[in-house]
Amino acid sequence: MTEPPVAGQRVYRHSVTARVTHWLWALALLVLVMSGLQIFNASPQLDASDKSDSARRVLSFDARQAADGSTVGTTTIFGHTFITTHVFGYTDDGAGGQAERAFPAAVTLPGSQDLAAGRVWHFFFGWVLVLSIVVYIVVGAVRKDLRELILRPSDIPKLLPMQLYYLRLRKDPPPHGTYNPLQKAAYTVVLFVFLPLIILTGLALSPGVDAIAGPLTWLLGGRQFARTWHFTLMVLLIGYFCTHMVLVFSTGAWNNIKSMITGWYRLKEHDGVGV
Amino acid sequence: MKRRLFVATLSATSLVGCGPVKDQLTTSLYGVLNSVQGLNHAIIGTRGMARLYKESDISSDYRIDSLDTPSDTRYADAARDNWAGYRLPVIGLVDRPHVFTLAELRAMPQLGEITRHDCVEGWSVIGKWSGVPLATILAMAQPKTNARYVIFRCFDKDETGVEYYESLDLHEAAHPQTLLALDLNGKPVDPDHGAPVRLRIPTQLGYKSAKWVRQIELAAAFPTQSKGGYWEDQGYEWYAGI
Repeated sequence: MTEPPVAGQRVYRHSVTARVTHWLWALALLVLVMSGLQIFNASPQLDASDKSDSARRVLSFDARQAADGSTVGTTTIFGHTFITTHVFGYTDDGAGGQAERAFPAAVTLPGSQDLAAGRVWHFFFGWVLVLSIVVYIVVGAVRKDLRELILRPSDIPKLLPMQLYYLRLRKDPPPHGTYNPLQKAAYTVVLFVFLPLIILTGLALSPGVDAIAGPLTWLLGGRQFARTWHFTLMVLLIGYFCTHMVLVFSTGAWNNIKSMITGWYRLKEHDGVGV
Repeated sequence: MKRRLFVATLSATSLVGCGPVKDQLTTSLYGVLNSVQGLNHAIIGTRGMARLYKESDISSDYRIDSLDTPSDTRYADAARDNWAGYRLPVIGLVDRPHVFTLAELRAMPQLGEITRHDCVEGWSVIGKWSGVPLATILAMAQPKTNARYVIFRCFDKDETGVEYYESLDLHEAAHPQTLLALDLNGKPVDPDHGAPVRLRIPTQLGYKSAKWVRQIELAAAFPTQSKGGYWEDQGYEWYAGI
């Protein structure tokens, strides 16, 4: 920190690379989740095994006839079955009807059941995601921007006070740089754990990759297990996204969004600059 | 033919409604999106060896992928008298065309491997496939230098009369684990699983492993209007290592 930051001061927070890659991977993740659910619908079961094995089923979506002749959709998690008609299992087929499909047309790409098209979207945007992450990390490392965002050992004692501040159990946040310690923890985990793992678990599903990098699939517990991890990481990333939205909108929505478009951010009280 | 695999409709209906202009836009959009297929093929390719399993790993029930027993009359004819009339011609761009009977294929050195079958839908099953390495057949037929693809024409037609076929490039076809499989789990392959001769390529997704092979043709290119296979023509990738 060269000079103490002052609230209301405008600072250049996000480089062009950071802004472009941010929106690219936002788009990529949206398409990947929706096309991924389309692909998932073709076989809506997750097993903790190498080959498919109903004895090791973690999650499944099904449809069955009820006693009154109507069709119900069900979700079974670790052997516990819940009725989820019209939400999961028996849902909107994208053609005006209801069908036996895990996720409804509104959240799949394309909307109607089309595995081949879902794969085409998924593999294209998989590359968009990979390339935007690589560019972001490489440019961020070279320009040293990444330093501001990576959690360091000195941030760890500040995590609890920061959480207490968010819970309004503490008046002021601990002093910090551009990003607070919880932000750093979230960004570090997403960037260096969740995103690399969701890419690796996706690759491990491919027979061609398994033939080259067999230990990868083996480490993940096998092909179906890799599919389970891939899905789990999607859920974690959606969880991160929801948290991200809550914080973007509760801490000065326009300032936050504008800064990710123009790069310029207006400092608020307690905001720091630098590492 | 019953189609269990969801058939792709890369038509305007799935994305932007109707009309020739939108149709064309959808086609171009998918053309752009599909451009990464070449990249995936170049990077991943068919270079490693599929994992081998133990007898105890074999699935109790080998799930039927996509298509079940052909309703084709030619198929019924060939199956009579324990496939006595079955012939497998190897033709096209080869120096030495061959026609094999099932007995001749069975008399050749067999390779048996327990491998995992990964379906494009997302499930997998483990089974022991035995048969003649396709490389052996290719070596006997001697592909000409301009041959690029091995096209497998199969029994079975869909409800619109379209014939079922698949293709591999020469590199994939000559992979040491690519088989013309005759046995599944120690017994002759049954009709649902591709009797009497089924292609088995464990380094790619299941839809490449064509069932009910009735002719092998070496060619310089895919037939006109073809994307290299029945499923490819429905929008699935020709390169199915991913």
